[in-house]
Amino acid sequence: MASNLTKNESTARGARDQKVRLVDRWRSYKAHHRTTFLTTLQKMLGEPLQTTLTVVVIAIALALPSVMFLALHNVQQLSSGFGSSAQITVFVKKDINSQQIKQLEKELNDLPEVVSTAFISADQALEEFKALSGFGSALQYLDDNPLPAVFLVQPETSGAAGLQQTQELVKAIGQLTAVEDIQVDMLWIQRLAMMTEVSKKLVLAMGIALSIGVLLVIGNTIRLAIQNRREEIIVVKLVGGTDAYVRRPFLYTGLLLGLFGGILASILLLGSFLWIGQSVAVLANLYQSQFQLMGPGLTGISALCSLGALIGLMGAWLAVMQNLRAIEPR
Amino acid sequence: MIRFDNISKRYPSGLEALKRVNFELEAGEMAFLTGPSGAGKSTLLKLLMLMERPSSGTLLINGKNLNRLSRSLIPSYRRQIGVVFQNHQLLSDRTVFENVALPLQISGYPPSETGRRVRAALDGVGLLGKESHNPLTLSGGEQQRVGIARAVVHKPKILLADEPTGNLDPALSAEIMALFRRFQRVGVTILIATHDINLINSLDHRIMHLEDGMLTDDGVRSNG
Repeated sequence: MASNLTKNESTARGARDQKVRLVDRWRSYKAHHRTTFLTTLQKMLGEPLQTTLTVVVIAIALALPSVMFLALHNVQQLSSGFGSSAQITVFVKKDINSQQIKQLEKELNDLPEVVSTAFISADQALEEFKALSGFGSALQYLDDNPLPAVFLVQPETSGAAGLQQTQELVKAIGQLTAVEDIQVDMLWIQRLAMMTEVSKKLVLAMGIALSIGVLLVIGNTIRLAIQNRREEIIVVKLVGGTDAYVRRPFLYTGLLLGLFGGILASILLLGSFLWIGQSVAVLANLYQSQFQLMGPGLTGISALCSLGALIGLMGAWLAVMQNLRAIEPR
Repeated sequence: MIRFDNISKRYPSGLEALKRVNFELEAGEMAFLTGPSGAGKSTLLKLLMLMERPSSGTLLINGKNLNRLSRSLIPSYRRQIGVVFQNHQLLSDRTVFENVALPLQISGYPPSETGRRVRAALDGVGLLGKESHNPLTLSGGEQQRVGIARAVVHKPKILLADEPTGNLDPALSAEIMALFRRFQRVGVTILIATHDINLINSLDHRIMHLEDGMLTDDGVRSNG
């Protein structure tokens, strides 16, 4: 040992070269981030059961509202399709001449939301009725044609906003002078739309509640981790570790737990989407519909993963703020 | 280097651990702090590590008033001192090398420099061959030496030691004291709290004696 001691002279020689260059400090800051990230990952993989349980809980809590949100989004997509098939039937007043009908046609076509109009004159309507209803012979006894002339108006609609537009269009048409009555079978579409709207809010509320749940789960996991590493925290603080340095591994743990939860939630989401999607395609085919189930898409998946990571980081931050200050060397 | 000016420390429990303590330690000086347990040795060291703050009086380190150091500046202060703990305070989930490297990593030394310095420090305490061991597999004396290597690896100006020879046999104690003297010779200011009478008697150094929170004796005791 004596020979070793002589070599140690340099180790203890004053503190002149104690200053660390800024570049080195930045490099070592990055290096510490990297090693913290890797050791955190290693530690998590070293406790596979604990990690898996936490991640699964997070994933389910994230996947549940996501699946419901996606389902509602699809319903909305579907009902907006119905909206575009909503034809407006405009009954023309009986005692007007062809000049006024021309005028009405022009007015209708001038409305910005109108895509096209089709005119069915009173005579045409009668012919059609005779042919289709089977009351043809009975109609002979009528003195004049009881049927009004009709305009079939095709409104321009797109998405959920289309419904609102259509309603406004109906109002606008009703104000035209030559219009007797308007029929549009929109009530059920309206109800469906409102129901999806209400459900969306419910799902959002549920999503927020479950996100808070995830926040607490991660917070609790981090709190336990802090308790388990109490000794280490004290030593690091004793040799001059800053709060940020002490915090770092815990923040990474939260971030990674949340991220893994988000990834697993995405897998669950995609899985259920593929599973249900096939049945929906068959069903749509039976209805001769072109409807296709809309998936979460790359945006949805990345949003879900980022949300998980963000919630994880926030949960860890809360736990760290609450618990780390209390651990001081005594 | 270290100056206590009328320092008193009263704990919230009402215990008055230090009563108007005055002393000054010059740069490069080595002193022992003795006294029965409960006399205030640990409190005095805790004040120097900023684990506790004095209730009254001024504590100056290198001319700077520690009382005015805000909480956020404590880490950078601690990085400038080296501390050898009685209970070693080594991390059992890391190797000896990683334990010694901790202060350097925290200060932001580049890895190559860290490796060089850690090996030099471990070489100095005669443990170079055990850098990849877990501290738990080492003997008490070896663990203490790892603690010393960690305390000096960043070349502090001040070295504090709390019972560094606490549970070591005389031969090991002597080795560790030799180590401390070596550091003193290169200009490190050293304060060692101990109640190891044999050790104190065997050395010619300044000895400060604490009794019931008061500094009752302060002077160089000559050997013999």
